[in-house]
This record gives sequence, structure tokens and C-alpha cells, in this order.
Amino acid sequence: MEKKKGLLSVFALMMAVVVMLSACGGKEEAGNEGGTNGKTESQQLTFMFRGGPEEQKAYQATVKKFEADNPGVKVKIITTTPDQYATKLKAAITGKSVPDVFYFDPGDLRAYVNGGVLKDITEYMNDVNFDNIWKYGVDIYRYDGETVGQGSIYGLPKDVGPFSLGYNKTMFEAAGIPLPDKDKPYTWDEFIKVNQQLTKDNNGDGKIDQYGTGFNVNWALQAFVWSNGADWLDETNKKVTIDDPKFAEALQYFADMQNVYKITPSIEDAATLDTYQRWMKGELAFFPVGPWDLATYETLPFDYDLIPYPAGSTGKSATFVGSLGIGVSNNSKSPELAAKLVTYLTASPEGQQQLVDAKVQIPNLIDMAQTWAANSATKPANKKEFLDIVQDYGKPMPNTLTYNAEWYQLFFTDIQPVLDGKMTAADYVKSQQPKMQSLLDKAIEQEAKSKK
Amino acid sequence: MKTKSNLYRKESYYGYLFVLAPVLGFLLFTLYPLLYSLYGSFTDWDGLGRMDFIGLANFKEIFMDEQFHKASFNTLFMMIGIPIEIVLALLLALGLNRKMFGTTTFRVVYYIPVISSLAAISILWQWAYNGDYGLVNQFLALFGIEGPNWLTDKYTVKPALIIMMVWKNLGYSMLLYLAALQSVPKDYYEAASLDGANGFQIFKHITFPMVKPVTFFIVVTKIIGGAQIFTEINIMTSTGGPEYSSASVVFYVWQKAFGNLQMGYASAMAMLLGIFIFVVTLVQFKMNERSSRDLE
Repeated sequence: MEKKKGLLSVFALMMAVVVMLSACGGKEEAGNEGGTNGKTESQQLTFMFRGGPEEQKAYQATVKKFEADNPGVKVKIITTTPDQYATKLKAAITGKSVPDVFYFDPGDLRAYVNGGVLKDITEYMNDVNFDNIWKYGVDIYRYDGETVGQGSIYGLPKDVGPFSLGYNKTMFEAAGIPLPDKDKPYTWDEFIKVNQQLTKDNNGDGKIDQYGTGFNVNWALQAFVWSNGADWLDETNKKVTIDDPKFAEALQYFADMQNVYKITPSIEDAATLDTYQRWMKGELAFFPVGPWDLATYETLPFDYDLIPYPAGSTGKSATFVGSLGIGVSNNSKSPELAAKLVTYLTASPEGQQQLVDAKVQIPNLIDMAQTWAANSATKPANKKEFLDIVQDYGKPMPNTLTYNAEWYQLFFTDIQPVLDGKMTAADYVKSQQPKMQSLLDKAIEQEAKSKK
Repeated sequence: MKTKSNLYRKESYYGYLFVLAPVLGFLLFTLYPLLYSLYGSFTDWDGLGRMDFIGLANFKEIFMDEQFHKASFNTLFMMIGIPIEIVLALLLALGLNRKMFGTTTFRVVYYIPVISSLAAISILWQWAYNGDYGLVNQFLALFGIEGPNWLTDKYTVKPALIIMMVWKNLGYSMLLYLAALQSVPKDYYEAASLDGANGFQIFKHITFPMVKPVTFFIVVTKIIGGAQIFTEINIMTSTGGPEYSSASVVFYVWQKAFGNLQMGYASAMAMLLGIFIFVVTLVQFKMNERSSRDLE
């Protein structure tokens, strides 16, 4: 009897502690609410973002300036490395402690709006001059509940990331080959020919030490597929269209650069690490260049410039524009202030100037970008190509057009045999299309459910 | 009952208080999430908020899911590293248990990978496995062998990961074996050698049975750990490897939960993984019980 009673009292004590703990939790919440409503002179925001070391420094400095311009406002910064960000944000959402202001991938826009994570910030945008911001960059954060690209604003672009093509000018000059024309893209055949001329053994040891190019399929295939008139999805974004012969042709061309024309480094290797470093050592003639590379590329031991991607059967060059949004949490206690931080970072001359000076991105403001592109003192000379991509011919990545990216990932998961030349592109797209379609169907079904 | 003293009662009372902290921790940080996830596995939870009960639909789908099959196969395949590691660790421990010059140095050398961060080691090995200029292939080139591009070839990516994991964990198992070897009473060996037993017989009839509890411990913890392998895969083959040939179950769970808004489906897979680990461990314990009885 005695013993039982002891156990019982322990259990009672445990329950008491649990109740106390949960009571504490509740009280804390209530306290917070009172705090922010009561005294407006000191407000706190949390801002979660990601980036490399340089980028983090630049953003921290800009946030400091925001605090200085808005007395009494304290911004708590949470940073992560790029590859950990998505996991951390999803964990914060699941745990219902979403930061006031945070980066998000445009591909997650619909899920976050339907799930009540992102706040509609249209009403706080009165001070923003939308004629002076890339339309592309704003539209991908508009959503009316049905279609992305119209309706309310749920975020502004941290930046836009046009993925351009660079060439090694010094190498061309040394080989005595006419420089590529920045206004007229190569045809695919011309591109191969130039690459073949530039793939050679310079020091005479019998090993090739200079190559045409070396693209990573994840980031460069889009340019070839699109300029050949094909795409991953149809216009409704509901059907996977990789079984289009034009698509197979582009993929085959991409794989043949390695296997048939031999204008890239080792056959097995498609990992960027290699080709990226070879490019920086001056061993490659062509390599993709994004605005985020500019600071690093300042110290390249050769001169480089930007050109449009080689054009396939459409005769037009194509590439993608990446972007990352900055949005406000639906549960933010001070949404107006949070939105102010968003516009400060993305759309104000002061904030943008600071970020552009740190060389981590191209300006969101069109007039500022034009001044920036016209400055011929900085490399590359043809910075205007970046702006052309954003304004004219850049497209969003296919995975950002659907509710989730699973179907798109599968395309790249199984692609190695094609790149290795062990499977034809035509066979691959035929066998992969149904699998991708069934994943896309699931994503569509998920989206429909999320609207309820 | 009445014979128990007040002091005794008081003592047990404080005892329970001390036990309370970990028990509460377990309730809050293990049992509650576990039950939540169990419930989640029967829903179409997207991780954002919406959560509708859909019965066993997730589980039905998992059994048809090609990627789940691949991930399960990969996870089991990579457990091949466990017996390799155990054999090597025991051999090393036997070697380093002898009185010879430099044993401390070797013990340190083998133990350094254990205390190094797994993420850092994964990045180092990723470079070492690079097809063009990686250390591994440079070493093979010394013997005129042209090594594959380890991490982008679906046939070599799993062996490559196994080699790395064995290298990383070897020191830990070795240390356990060393401790076990040193606690074997010396008189057993003396008696055996007086009876004229040779080295192999001594190993078979004395050393091996005496370190058996350690072997059991290593096997159990390795299988539990092996079933949950994730970090090295996420870092070294961030897309799950060519044709998903290195993705583990946990990697697939992570992709679904944090990448593709399918927390419910991911929870269901996590439940299956949990059941698998539980059953395997239970069987091992039962087997161990029986064999230790045989020993007596």
C-alpha cells in the first residue's frame, strides 16, 4: 500500500510539473503580445536568410543601416548556409515559430500562401515605385489563389539571378579566333566548331590541357532545351513534355559535347567543382556566369566577357533567371514594420546601393542597374547581357512553376547514363516521361487539396 | 510492508525526483513527437498546417514506391560495411593489444577519424573520390590502375561510401575491443598454453567468446546507426547519387518532408523504419539471450 501511494504522489508531481510547464508556455506568449502592443517605441523583428560569407556580411550591414534609419527597431538576424536553409525554415514553419521576415524560394510561393505562412503585403507597398523594379522579379511573387504572376504581392525579390554565358577573351586572342558576337548568338554547329578549335594541348605533353567548355546539366541544359523550342512542361504546367523530339535533340546535343565532340574535360565528370575551377584557372573557353560570381571573377587571371547562349532551332538564345523572395510571416506581430524591412532591402535606393556596392548582386532598381551596366570600368564589359536576360529572354526554372519539385528532380536523378553516352536521349525521355508525369499529377492533387 | 523505514521511503522519494528529469525529457522530446509523427503518418500532412486523416493510404503507396524500394535496398546494402568493420576492428585490436613499439601512436591514428566531425570528413572524402584529381585515383594511378569516378558511377558510389564509413568508425569499435581484450583474465591464456593450445585455438575458444558481449553491442548499435545513415549521403551525393543509387531511407524521408511538402508520407516511412529497427534489435536480443545460455 505504502509503496503504491509513493508512486502515485510521484505521478501527481509529474503531472503538476507538466501543467506548470505548459502554463509557463502560455503565459510567455501572452506576455509577448502585450509587450509589442503596449510599447511601440522598441520593436523587435526576426529576419532569417541565407548566403555565402560575403553575402551574409553585406546583408548584416544593410540591416544595421535599417536599424539606424528606424530608431527603436531591433532586428534579430538568423543566418544559415545555403544548403541548410530550406530545412531550417521548414522546421520553423512546422514548429509554428516562423521569423517575421524570411527568404523563400519562388517555387514554394503557392504552398506557403495556401498554408497560411506568407502574408499578403500589397497594402504596405504604397511607397514602392514598381515601374523601376524588374517586372519579372515582382511578378513571380504575385498570386491570386489560382495563378502565379497576378494578384496580391506576397514578397519582393531579394535579387534576380540571370544565368549568362561567359567566354575567356584572352584564350580567343591567343588562338587567333574571332571573338564571339555579343548581339548574334552562335548556332549550335558554330558553337561546336569554335569549341573544337579551342580544345587542344598547349604545352605539347600529349595531354589536352585546354577545353571548350564543361557544363553542369542541372544548370545549363535549360538554355539548350528552350532555345530548341522544347520545355519540361506545357503552358498549363500540368503536363510533362520531355518526350518532345525537340527536347531529346537538345539533350542529345548536350551529351554529345562530352561523348562525341569531346570538347569538355573528362567524360565521367559533370560535377561543377572541376569545370568551375578549370574555368577560373583559364582552361575553359566558355562557362556560365551569374551575378553572384562577379566578386570572385574580379581576380581571374584572364579577361572575360558575356555573350548570349548558342541558339538552337528557334534561332533565339535562352537561359533562366533565378530569384529568391523575401516575405513576411502571416503571424508577424508587426507586419507593417516587417514589410518596411522587406522594401528597404529590395526596393529602396539606400538599401540596394549598399548591397550592390558589396558586389553580391545586380540592382533590383532598373535605373540603378542601367548605370551599373554602363560602367565600363568594371569587368565584364557586356554587363548589359544580364539585364537583357532579365528583361527579354530569361525564364523561370521549371521546378518553380509547380507545387513541388519532385517530378523535376527525378529528371536529373536518372540522367547519368545519358551523359555517359550509355543511353540515347530519345530512349531516356520516353522512359522517364510517365514517371515524371505521375509525380507531377500528385503535386497537382496536393495543390488542389491545399486550397481547401 | 510496514517494516520499511521512513528513511527508506524518503530515499526512494528523492530517487524518483532524480529520475523525473530524464523521464520528463523523454515524454516531451521523444514520446510526444513520436506519437505526433505516428498520427501524422495516417494523414496527408504537408508540414505547413493542413492535416487530413487518410487512413492507410500512405503505407499502401509506400509499398508501390520505386524510390522507396531503391532507398531501402541502398540502406541494407551499405550495412555490408558492418561485418567488414567488425572483423578489421578485432584484428586491429588484437594487434595493438600486443606489447610492441608505438601502439599508442597507432591507437591515436585510428581514433582520430572517430572524433572528427562527420560533415568535415564527408567533404574531405568527396574530394578524395573526385574522378579527375582525387587522392584515391592518384594513389591507384601509382599502380597503373585507372580509378572510376567514384561518386558519379552508380556501381561504385555505395562501395565508396562503405569504405569511408568503415575508415571513420573503425577506431571506435577497435577501442571497445581493446578494452574487452584487456579485461580477459590472463590465467585463461596461461592455462590454455599449458594445455598446449595453439594461437588459433586460443582465439576461438577464449578470446572470441570473451569479447562476445562487445561484438553484440557493436552489431546492435551499428545496425541501428546504419539504418539511419544520412549525413554523409546528403553531403557527398546531394541528389541521392546517380539514379538514386546512394540514397538511404532517411535521405528519402528528408527529401519528402523538407523538400516536397509531404510530411505525412515521410512520417509513414519513418514509422516503417522505426518498426524495422525495433524488430531487428528485438531478434538480436533474443538470439543473444539464447546463445549466452548455450555458453553457460
